[in-house]
Amino acid sequence: MGFLDNLFGRKQPTSSSVAKERLLTVLVHDRVHLSPHDMDEMKREIIAVIERYVEVTNPEAIEVTLTRGEATDHLKADIPLGRSRQQ
Amino acid sequence: MAQVITITSGKGGVGKTTTTANLATSLAMQGQRVVAIDADIGLRNLDVVMGLENRIVYDLVDVVEGRCRTRQALIKDKRFPDNLFLLPAAQTRDKDAVTPDDMIALCNELRREFDFILIDSPAGIEGGFKNAIAPADHILIVTTPEMSAVRDADRIVGLVEAYEKSNPKLIINRIKARMVARGDMMDTPDVVEILAIDLVGIVPDDESIVISTNRGEVAVLDRDSMAGKAYNNIANRLLGHDIPFLVLDEKQGLWAQLVNMFRTRR
Repeated sequence: MGFLDNLFGRKQPTSSSVAKERLLTVLVHDRVHLSPHDMDEMKREIIAVIERYVEVTNPEAIEVTLTRGEATDHLKADIPLGRSRQQ
Repeated sequence: MAQVITITSGKGGVGKTTTTANLATSLAMQGQRVVAIDADIGLRNLDVVMGLENRIVYDLVDVVEGRCRTRQALIKDKRFPDNLFLLPAAQTRDKDAVTPDDMIALCNELRREFDFILIDSPAGIEGGFKNAIAPADHILIVTTPEMSAVRDADRIVGLVEAYEKSNPKLIINRIKARMVARGDMMDTPDVVEILAIDLVGIVPDDESIVISTNRGEVAVLDRDSMAGKAYNNIANRLLGHDIPFLVLDEKQGLWAQLVNMFRTRR
């Protein structure tokens, strides 16, 4: 329904694209046998290790996600670091 | 020598039995010698979908336990009396009455007399599923474009690999073109991308399936049925013909787009 959506400014994603996103996430977890609980636990440990070496400005902003690639799945961590000017 | 093709899905109710009945009939229409085996012991249904429920004397468990010869348990389809047969499941026993080795031995016996052996797998991933895939040369995974069905299909893809069966093929069933057009049902490329296996057929959601099944007929015998056409195409692909996929888009006019948009806006 392309142009009509644009005309009326409908921005919400379609329910089918929501389904696809949710499925991709669920399937990666199914395939690597990692429960959301274990994922949280792992995230906490990763942050603890990183913090031993560098300053992590906002632990809340850290994103650890499982994503699907062509042949393999990926564990991705996005960790914003503090930018201190002092040497 | 027959090819053994198992139709499976993981989730129940996505159309395995309907798919088995239609593919078996379509292959028989083309002169192939076909036997369809209902491997869903205790929940037999392929007999009803093929309209053969009144003619059952012996069943799969009788054959496996040696109470009759295999030939005696095969029910002739009256529409194709020379080349389409059903081996029904037992209704009063459970899945443990048959083992994967029994199924392999049975199929090896049938291979000599048929071109295609189609096995209708039960839902689930337990014993019945293992029985159904044990003798398979090829596996067809049926799903609908819904999250739960696709998730279960993904699990089956993994199990098929674990049982060292290669290259399962995908059938996407009950596609509602109007819902796809307005973005409320996953489209074929989405499902294929998620499951990452080869597509062998797409079947539209079609009331004619319910009507044919009510009458004990199968949709492939109804020239006006779109689902029947889709199943005939799949059967042709199994025979090695290169058949383009049906175009299921329903062209939407401006008015329909407007109506849909206001209906789905929240």
